[in-house]
Parts: sequence; structure tokens; C-alpha cells
Amino acid sequence: MRRTILLFTCLLFTAAQGLRADDVKAENPSSVVRVNVTNQPWDFAHPWGKHPPYSRRAIGTILAGNRVLVTAELVANANYVEFETAEGGQKVPASVEVVDYEANLALLKTDDPDFLKPYKPLELTHANIGDTLSVWQLESNGALLVTKGPMTTAEVTRYPTDDSPLLVYRMTTPLQFRDSSFTLPVVKDGKLAGLVMRYDNTTNNAEVLPAPVIEHFLTDAKKAPYEGFARVGIVSSPTRDPQFRRYLGLTAETPGGVYIAEVLSDGPAAKGSVEQGDVLLEVDNHPVDSDGNYKDEEYGKIAIAHLFSTKRYDGDGVKLTVFRKGAKKELTVTLKHRPVESYVIEPYVNDRAPKFYILGGLVLQELSRQYLKEYGADWQKKAPEQFVYYDRQQNELFKNGPKKIVFLNRVLPSDLTIGYEELGQLIVTRINGVTIQSLADVPQALEQATDGLHKIEFDSEPRFIYLDAAAVAAAQGDFQRKYRLPAMQRLD
Amino acid sequence: MRIFPALMTNRFWPIALALGLLASPVFGQPNEIRKSVARITNTMEDANYRLPWLPGSMATGSGTGWVVGPDRLITNAHVVSNARFLTVEKEDDPKKYIATVEHIAHDCDLAILKVQDPAFFKNTKPLLLGGIPELESTVAVFGYPIGGERLSVTQGVVSRVDFRTYTHSVLDSHLTIQIDAAINPGNSGGPVLQDGKVVGIAFQGFSGDVAQNVGYMIPTPVIAHFLKDIEDGHYDRYMDLSISITNTLNPAMRKGLGLTDDDRGVMVSSVQSAGVCAGKVKVGDVLMSIDGHDIASDGMVELDGERVLMSEVAERKFLGDEVKLGILRAKQPMEVAVKFDRAWPFLMQANSYDTQPAYVLFGGLLFQPLSRNLLGAYQFQSDRVNYFYDNFVSKEIYKEHPEIVVLSAILPDPINTYLAEFREGIVDEINDRKIRTLKDAADAFAEKPEFYVIKFIGHARPLVLERSAVEAARERIRRRYNVLAEQNLTPTEFTSASR
Repeated sequence: MRRTILLFTCLLFTAAQGLRADDVKAENPSSVVRVNVTNQPWDFAHPWGKHPPYSRRAIGTILAGNRVLVTAELVANANYVEFETAEGGQKVPASVEVVDYEANLALLKTDDPDFLKPYKPLELTHANIGDTLSVWQLESNGALLVTKGPMTTAEVTRYPTDDSPLLVYRMTTPLQFRDSSFTLPVVKDGKLAGLVMRYDNTTNNAEVLPAPVIEHFLTDAKKAPYEGFARVGIVSSPTRDPQFRRYLGLTAETPGGVYIAEVLSDGPAAKGSVEQGDVLLEVDNHPVDSDGNYKDEEYGKIAIAHLFSTKRYDGDGVKLTVFRKGAKKELTVTLKHRPVESYVIEPYVNDRAPKFYILGGLVLQELSRQYLKEYGADWQKKAPEQFVYYDRQQNELFKNGPKKIVFLNRVLPSDLTIGYEELGQLIVTRINGVTIQSLADVPQALEQATDGLHKIEFDSEPRFIYLDAAAVAAAQGDFQRKYRLPAMQRLD
Repeated sequence: MRIFPALMTNRFWPIALALGLLASPVFGQPNEIRKSVARITNTMEDANYRLPWLPGSMATGSGTGWVVGPDRLITNAHVVSNARFLTVEKEDDPKKYIATVEHIAHDCDLAILKVQDPAFFKNTKPLLLGGIPELESTVAVFGYPIGGERLSVTQGVVSRVDFRTYTHSVLDSHLTIQIDAAINPGNSGGPVLQDGKVVGIAFQGFSGDVAQNVGYMIPTPVIAHFLKDIEDGHYDRYMDLSISITNTLNPAMRKGLGLTDDDRGVMVSSVQSAGVCAGKVKVGDVLMSIDGHDIASDGMVELDGERVLMSEVAERKFLGDEVKLGILRAKQPMEVAVKFDRAWPFLMQANSYDTQPAYVLFGGLLFQPLSRNLLGAYQFQSDRVNYFYDNFVSKEIYKEHPEIVVLSAILPDPINTYLAEFREGIVDEINDRKIRTLKDAADAFAEKPEFYVIKFIGHARPLVLERSAVEAARERIRRRYNVLAEQNLTPTEFTSASR
């Protein structure tokens, strides 16, 4: 898992262009602190324990209200966070106030009211293609290292959690390696235009988490509870193919438009009566082209996801003009954030311990992408094929449940599990005849033993096994001691 | 584990290496054995899955065969697969004789050859089959390894008798004997002798970097089974129960299934609905005996004094035979007779040979049924295609899709230039008609609707082709890509039974 995160950092920098001293003065060196973080993720392969801790140093940008902005990746599963002054190296404990892993942003604070006082908070500014942007790093003596480069692109693309495309700026800049190289501020005219999210040292391309996304996050962060970026809940497909357009009945009077290939069940679009097969022609009177772009006042042609996610907020209504059965139709959709817990296979699990239940040596868990990522950087090839397939196709496969997929991770062998040692990676469908929709269903199902036996059913071979209910109950203590397990279950 | 067939066509050993390697008879085998062993040269042509209207690559390989009956040679199927021209030669005869394949059994890697000129069999004598040799006893391997023109004989001891995958089909496992004699490319098909009788046919080994002095031979029960099967002039293939079983070692499992403490019985964990046990055996049944042989809790039975997997009992059956299963169902003992009325019909996960790829080309879109060969030719990236392939049998995908029709390639043309996103898609419906086989697709394309609307599994946006556009593009695509034929729907043993 750690390796995955490192992909998005910018550790291997090459030569940089020099900057004259007066350039540096024009920038604002007193608006950043070092942020030192010790992360310790849970080990989803051994859900009772954690991975060894590791530490990272980053640069936090000071914003109004004594808050420090960093990327969410930096503080995922953080055990300890501290601020450190760039010059002098004074340190103070800090904590995460708001974090959004989908927007990849976090706001940090400290209880020491004086620590951030001497600093001048940065304001935000939007940047655009052709602007020259400065990337800030800190030298070991606290001096600011500024590397400039042009912004080349504004585009909607995937963020680290994979499931939520949002706006990014791209820029070309030759960054050098410095020890606090995570979460670098990108500055235009002394104001914050974004944070470096990914850097490729072979092409010198940086992807910048941009100001519009940060502003949206900061607006959401003022409200409690934090809602997150809203989504419309459709999967769309281009209508460039003239044969397809004629088939759909689209004419010169209905130019552009994207085909709505999927409407996520229970999503905002579904609730707003959008149907699979509709052609989306307009969003809030912005015409949608046949590739799914609209003309943004600021960035020009850009994917409509930007309009739904970043320019609108959770709870906002949007007017969709769709083409259905030869006629235009107007629909109103109330945008909503999709909570990560609502996924059958959660795309990420941060700051939460994995649930598990050990039943006579059978380690039962809920399937999540976090678990699959324990198979390493190429988990999509190495993790069990069925699980990877289920993860990727979950919207299609689990329209009607279950709530979660409970699976047998492995068997910790004992005399109770003779003959079962090699079982693992099996999806549990029922226990004692009770359908298992989540791990929380397990304890109740275990009260239904018949003839003193628990019957555990799987969706594939061996299809079912039995355990001796009394022997399992009696052996729990011994078992926990023998395998030195800190707990035999965690269900919340 | 990497196993290579003993005949390697692509890395054919230089003949010069083998010249002058004159093997003397190792331990005084009578001379007529040498006279009855032949060198087989095969000019083969692979199927072309990327351009299925054209022939595939050509190669020459060699192997060994021996006289098994009146005017017949036996060898490995892989020695004579995809043959376009076959010759056989004997050590003491300068002539090259032209041979043809009479029977070929890809599931047990055996084949029977006829030789056009009866003069070939002069001075030869059919070799006799023996039994299963004792462990640690010595055997001699006869053959033409690494392409030599003189017969080579090596010897070794019998290391173990076991069930093992036959890599020629890769889907089949049968009884196999491991020996420590050197078996090299070209030995394939050669007889392994003991006391003047054939006790096996050399057929596969490991490449040197995996294991050394490990060679495998097909034992006589498998050879005899093949010879008996073809007595009626037709090869019916191996019979199979098409169920899977799981052990009953666990005391709670045994109690739950109603078993006593006698170490007997295995639980049925799947019953293929296309197999012979469908409707007769159920998941959760415990198999206690097979044809009167007690089944141990690890699935072994005692047969001719050897402990072997219970499937060996089914292995010895022929089409039309019956097997009697002693079953404990819901704790009640019962007897079930299962008739082997068909061989397992779905072979797409096996290597296929001697067949031309099935395909339909329509509007520059190439549709092909998913198979091991197709996967090898294209290296599909789609996780869905790979999932459907791997789970074709285990999840009984064949019930809905006896053939998985894949849009394997697109020959670019103005009418399909926007369709790249559909490549590697699995066809589900065409114009609301369910597509179960490639023929269903061909039938749907033979109709004349205004639009052809093709739905792919998990891809809610349909692919749409206008009939007028397809018709206008047809000749253009044929000419531009030299398409000799737009479809091949000829059924073969590897295509689904439902065709």
C-alpha cells in the first residue's frame, strides 16, 4: 500500500532551473510550515494488526483561520502529525480537522494559538493555461526553493481513490528532490493556485490539485458534517459515431449530447428520473457536446463532471435536458455525495480498522479495495481474479445487494479445522441458513447452530463446511493465546 | 511448473548435432524391436487466429512411432497434430514413406497412423503391451531424440505412478509414469520397453532449467483404453463424471454429513449441469463407493493393488458404460447408476488442433468464440474476458453462453472508426436476440434490419451499425484487407455441442 502512495509523491527530482534572489523575494516565504506525519495503516491481510509505521515530511500551506492545507494522502492513517517552522525547526503537535480522500485534501490545525500567528495566510487564485506557476519547496536551512513552469492543461481526470474524477492543472517544471517534498504548494502572483499531487521526473510533468477544487473543499469544510463532492450518478458514452446518432434519432436540431449508458441505482440521476438510454443534451443550459464536454467560462471545453462535482455542491439542483424517445425533456436532479460506506466493495478505507471475525480459525472479513491492495502495486493482477472482477464491476453486479461481501480470508489451522487448511478467498453466502449481508450478520447467525454444528456456506467449492459449535466456543481463548491475537473480532 | 511437449517445433535441434550418435542396444533387446520403431517427420501448419481466412505459420518437427498392430503405427497426438504432410522412416530402410493420421486422441495425446505403401511394414512386428512396471525397475526408451537419424536408446528407472496433466490438451489429466531416463524433443511417441514388452510411450518432460532426469510416459492402461475405444472405427474420447469432490477429514464435517469414524467418503462439491451426473448426484452427497470400491476420505480407491484417485474408475469406462455410485444423501444410503452417454462437451479451455478457427467478419468487426487458442493469439487485456474464460466451467457460464462470442479485432474502416471501445467485448444480444453461439451471431447478421444493434455484456451502450453502411463497405473491406472468406462456422470437436 505504501508503494502505491509513493507513486503520487515527487521524490525523484532532476535538475532545476536557477532563480535569482529577487524572484524569491517576490514570493511569500512566510506562508508555509513543514508538516511531519507518521502514518501507520492497518494490515487488511492480517486485520487484527497494523503495518509498521513510516514517516513523511511535507509542506503545509497556511490559510486564513489558522488552518494548514495538505493533501489527504499525506495524513491517511496518520498516528501523529506535527508542524515544524521552516526556519528554526520549532515543532508543535497538530491534528486533522477535515479530510476528504476523494478530493485528496485535508485541513490541519494546532491547539497552540500562537504557533501560526507570525505567518501570513495565503489567499487562493485560479490559474489558467499559459500562466507561469511557481512550485515551492524548502531547503534544509528553511529557505524557499522556487521552481517555475508553465501551466499546459486543465483537465478532469482521476484522483488517487480512482472513483471520482475532478479537475487538475498540468504544468511542466523541473523539480529537484528535497526532503519535504510531499504536498508542494503551487503559487501564482503570491497566491495559492494548487498543490502538486503527482510528479513524473522523466517527463517533468506535474499534476496539480487546483484552486477550484480547494475552494470547493474549504466551502464544504465550513459545514458540519462535511458532505464532500457531489456526483450525478451516471456513466455516459460519446455519440460521435454518425450511425449511432441516426439510430438514436439525433438530428441537426439536437447537436452534441452524450448517451447515458448507466444510471447508478439509488443515485441522484436515478432519483431524478434519468433513464438509461437518454441522451444528455444540456446541463443548466450549458450545451453538452458529443464527447461529454461543456464550454466552461474559465477553462473552455471540459468534461461535465467538473460542472457536477466542483461547480455545484451537495444538495444543489441541476437542470438536465435529455433527449428521450424523439423529444426533449427537462429533469431536475438533486446532486448528492456518495458516501464511501455505501459501496459494496469500498474503494478506500482510511483511518478505520478493518472489520473481522475469527470463527474457530476461519478469518472472516468484508471485501474492500484496501484489502486487494495488500497484494502489492500490481494487485489487479495478483489479487484473486474473482475479487478484482467484482470490485471493478460492482455497480453492474451488485445492484440488489448484498450490502457487503463477506469472505473467508484464510484459515488459522487448529484441530478444529483439520481438512480445511487450504481454504481461503471464498465468499461466504450463508451461515446456519442465515444469509450473510455484512459481517455484522455473523454473530446472530452463529446462534442458529443445529445439532451442535455451524454450517458455513460459500459461493464456490467446497460449497459448505461444518464446525463444531461447542468446540469452537470453548477453544476461542486458547486459540487467541496460541496465535497471540489482540482480538478475535472487530465488528465496528 | 513448465512442461514442454517432447517434440519442440520452434526450437528444433540441429540435425548435425545428432549425427554419429549411434546407440547400441542397451541391454540386448531383440533386433525386431529396433526394426519396428520409426522416425516421423511432420510438416505442420498452425491455425491463424488473427487472420482466420489465411493459413498460419508452418514448421517441421519430428518424433517417434512404433508398429502397434497390423499395418498401423502409434505415436503421440502432438507429433502429428496440425499435419499437412507426414513421412515415416525406418533405420534400416532408405525410403521415406508417406503416412496419414487414422485416429487422433488429443485428450490422451495418442494417434494411429496408416502408411500408404504396405512395404513399410515388411520385417516389422507389432510390439506387445505389458502392464504397469514395478517402481524402481529399469526401462529402456527407444526413439529419435533431438532429430537424429539413428535410433537412440536410453534407460532409467520407474520413479512414480501418478495422475498428471497431459500438456498437449492441458485440460486433461490421466495416469502417468515418471521415469528418470533422458527424454528429449523427438523422443515423443517412442516405446518404453521392459522385458521385451511396451510399458509406456514417452511423451513429455521438463525443460532443463526446471527439473532434470524427469521424463513422463503414457502407461499401458491409457494406451489400451485408446486402442479399445477406436476398435469401432471412431474415437469417443475419455469419459468423465464432471463433478468435483472435497475431502471429509474434519470431524465436524463428518458429523454434519452423517458419517461415522471410518475414514470413508468424499463430499460432492459441484455437479456440472452439462455432465453425466447432472440430476443424479447432488452437491452435498457423500460418495462412499464407486463400482464397489470403497472411497477413502481423501478420494482414493484401491484398484489392482494400487491406491489411485477415484476418477481412475471413470477413466477406464467407455461411451455407453455405466458406473455405480454408493451415495449417502441426507444421511440415507442409496445407489445411483450413472451412464456415460456423452463425453464432456465444452472444450474451449483446451488447446485445439486440426481445426480451422471459427469466425464471423461483419462490417470489419471480427467475432470469434473465446478459446484457449484465441486467448493465446490475442493476449486480451479485458478482465471480463479473462474472468469468463477462467470461470466458464466453474460458474457454468456455458449454460447461457455455450460459446463466448468476442469482438476480437476491428479492421479499420470509416464505418467502424468510432467503435474501438468495443474491442474485447463479449456479445450478449444482437437486435434483442440472445447470442449463445457464433452461429446465432451469423444468423442475426444474415437478417436485413435497418440497424444492427449489438449489446455487449456489462457495456450498456450498444454498438450500432447501419445496414446500408455495412453493405456499402463490404467489398471495400474485403479488398483492402484481402479477406478470402467472411465466416467459418464449420463445427469441430472443440466447438460447443449445441451448435
